[in-house]
Amino acid sequence: MADIAYEGGALSATETVDRAKVLRRLRLGDSAFRHITRVAAISVLIILSGIILSLVYGAWPAMQTFGISFLFDESWNPVTERFGAIAPIYGTVLTSLIAMLIAVPIGLFIALFLTELCPMWLRRPIGVAIELLAGIPSIIYGIWGLFVFAPFLQQHVQPFLIDLFGPIPILNNLFAGPPYGIGILTAGLILAIMVLPFITSISRDVFEAVPPVLKEAAYGLGCTTWEVARYVVLPYTRVGVIGGVMLGLGRALGETMAVTFVIGNAHRISGSILAPGTTISATIANEFTEAVGDIYTSSLIMLGLILFCITFIVLAFARLMLMRLNARVGA
Amino acid sequence: MALISGANSPLYAKRRRKNVITMALAFAATALGLTWLVLVLAVLLWNGVGGLSLAVFTEMTPPPGAAGGLLNPIVGSLMMTVVAVVIGTPLGILAGTYLAEYGRYDKLSSVVRFINDILLSAPSIVIGLFVYEVMVASLGHFSGWAGAVALAVIVVPVVVRTTEDMLTLVPDTLREAAASIGLPRSLMIRHVAYKAARAGMITGVLLAIARISGETAPLLFTALNNQFWSLDMAAPMASLPVVIFQFALSPYKDWQELAWTGALIITLAVLALSIVARFLGAQSKTS
Amino acid sequence: MNSVASFTVPSVTHAAVNAGDLTDKVTIRNLDFFYGDNRALKDINVSLYNGKVTAFIGPSGCGKSTLLRVLNRMYDLYPNQRATGDVSLDNENILDPAQDLNLLRAKVGMVFQKPTPFPMTIYENIAFGIRLYEKLPKSELDGRVQRALERAALWNEVKDKLGANGQSLSGGQQQRLCIARTVAVRPEVILLDEPCSALDPISTAKIEELIDELKEDYTLVIVTHNMQQAARVSDYTAFMYLGELVEFGETAKIFTKPDDRRTQDYITGRFG
Repeated sequence: MADIAYEGGALSATETVDRAKVLRRLRLGDSAFRHITRVAAISVLIILSGIILSLVYGAWPAMQTFGISFLFDESWNPVTERFGAIAPIYGTVLTSLIAMLIAVPIGLFIALFLTELCPMWLRRPIGVAIELLAGIPSIIYGIWGLFVFAPFLQQHVQPFLIDLFGPIPILNNLFAGPPYGIGILTAGLILAIMVLPFITSISRDVFEAVPPVLKEAAYGLGCTTWEVARYVVLPYTRVGVIGGVMLGLGRALGETMAVTFVIGNAHRISGSILAPGTTISATIANEFTEAVGDIYTSSLIMLGLILFCITFIVLAFARLMLMRLNARVGA
Repeated sequence: MALISGANSPLYAKRRRKNVITMALAFAATALGLTWLVLVLAVLLWNGVGGLSLAVFTEMTPPPGAAGGLLNPIVGSLMMTVVAVVIGTPLGILAGTYLAEYGRYDKLSSVVRFINDILLSAPSIVIGLFVYEVMVASLGHFSGWAGAVALAVIVVPVVVRTTEDMLTLVPDTLREAAASIGLPRSLMIRHVAYKAARAGMITGVLLAIARISGETAPLLFTALNNQFWSLDMAAPMASLPVVIFQFALSPYKDWQELAWTGALIITLAVLALSIVARFLGAQSKTS
Repeated sequence: MNSVASFTVPSVTHAAVNAGDLTDKVTIRNLDFFYGDNRALKDINVSLYNGKVTAFIGPSGCGKSTLLRVLNRMYDLYPNQRATGDVSLDNENILDPAQDLNLLRAKVGMVFQKPTPFPMTIYENIAFGIRLYEKLPKSELDGRVQRALERAALWNEVKDKLGANGQSLSGGQQQRLCIARTVAVRPEVILLDEPCSALDPISTAKIEELIDELKEDYTLVIVTHNMQQAARVSDYTAFMYLGELVEFGETAKIFTKPDDRRTQDYITGRFG
């Protein structure tokens, strides 16, 4: 001990100079590394701005030609070069809506099962299975939808729906037309299966963030498991659940491959959800490489820009909600 | 001894009924969700296993009606994935390092963190359009490089996120201990923090690979496709997901079967990667 | 109320205790409790008397909170926790696996160490529990909410902001809100698990005053690490150590001339 203290304590003149050199070199290396990491962090922002700028640049011809009316025009005619975004926007929103209507309640119930009911030894396996399934590429869901799910719907489910809702006024329009198999409803269902693991795993995480003592207090009052979930867990985690749902919605809106296979690629707005339609991403995926002419390509990029804006808003909102929950749990 | 009375009151009976019903629903939802997902995998296995043979890994994609394999798209996918990881990982790790170490509390970091989280879920087809504009439209031709860059753009946010998370888990006492022997920050990060967080960071990279190995949309108009054997990254390049897309939508039976086989290969690869990643991740948390 | 923090002369406040009138509200016989293989309670035998305040004291980890969580079977929420033996409430065995836990917990209310207002308005925090068991017209429900809040000495502070979120109250107010919530369900036994440990002295004094009033209608069980508090509010005191019940008796006796050496060491501050 004493030796070390002595050596450290008394530096000769040359040693002091050496040490100063070493220190200077270290300081230089340190600040270089710091700057490199900073530049890397900034590059994330550059990627985002690059995406926005390149899309705006690519969409510029279409913007100039069609102006704001692009957003509301239903026509999509490569021959006359008249393009409008409303049909793909409609399809994007409607398929995502169907997906969320199905996936949100099911996902929440599964999360409830996993956090409140499931025996401990089963929680991890089911949780892991769900997270693994969230990682399966969307093209798998697409090919499955095309070859398995759509024919099944066509033969067994859609005729039943048409018969069921046929006599009911308003609803018969929603379920009108021949059973194609592929179409808006099928795409919505496939999307639902695809986003279900996301919604489930986020809801489970936020449900688990509820302080146990709060649940105990509710049980202590004599609440049933459902009452604890409905009146304590859900209100407490509301912002987090909304965030998770929005995150799932962001995925659904931007999803390409699961939808492209089964949507039917028809540029029109049909009242029936059994009819074929299209979404923004499916239109781009199907037509981009075949698009001839600047305006056609530019219109497709314009669609991409619109999609990016919609998902950006939804995802930003989702993150803000999740951040608010974290702030509360942390406090 | 008797039980507490009161179970017969109508209000309580109603509450209990409601609880039983909702709990049954929760159970049913879980069963339904798991069944669906098992069904997807089972059908995939059923349709894909039949076509699985050595020829799949040794022969080129065939013209319709002929026999063939998936060699060129498999090699193309591997090459583009490797390049994407080589570009995306260092960038992601460095950016994640800034967020967790140098700039943990500064304004820039909170903005980058927020944007990164959005990029994490941004539609991948838009990323394809972005790279098309930057690398394809300007150069005038599709290329494997463009495909790899598009995939790299997807890798970056995943790696940034896991790197930051893992470095944040490194206890501050370790940082203080390193500082107390006079180690500058950068050496502390490289020799102490990275070592402590290594397993978690590798997990992040594996997850990123899993994520891009199935990505189709960003390759459609960057790498395009190539029916022939090609190792030239400057030329259009085949990839497994794009070939699956093309073959599945074709009217030819052989192509559809190859599409199923390709889908099975991708899924197994992705599942294997996720399982290894999870295993490593679990280890890094316990150690 | 004699609130001077002295536990050497506490007998004045509790002079009225008369052993002849005592009836058991809760009877605990041969109770063992396990966390997995770890035996946390060892052969506990004790009676909690009707209309009295019983305090459980002892060093951290002695099992006093565990005992409390047996009385409303809160431990059932967690795996690998089990109790064996016999615990009866009004001669009904609460450890019976067929016991309806919701009804049991409605009868045995609990107040926790940290305030636990539910994520809803002040009014709803109280009304929620009432509605679980009774369907009341609005006016009657309002009356019940008001009485519960009055009972918890909170009404005057919150009557103008019943619509505010329960979490917006101060810590002491939140704890009284939780007591009001518990009282509103009309339990027979109220368990208090270190109810003042997260509160300032003024809030603590208010809660203690409240406990004194509540014992007219309820059987109270309080777990505390604060011996002065036990001496101030309880009629009976049980001293626990390492999972065993060392000594049980009238508070005055426990704090003046305990029979057991360990009890004496603890109350005089020699360990713990």
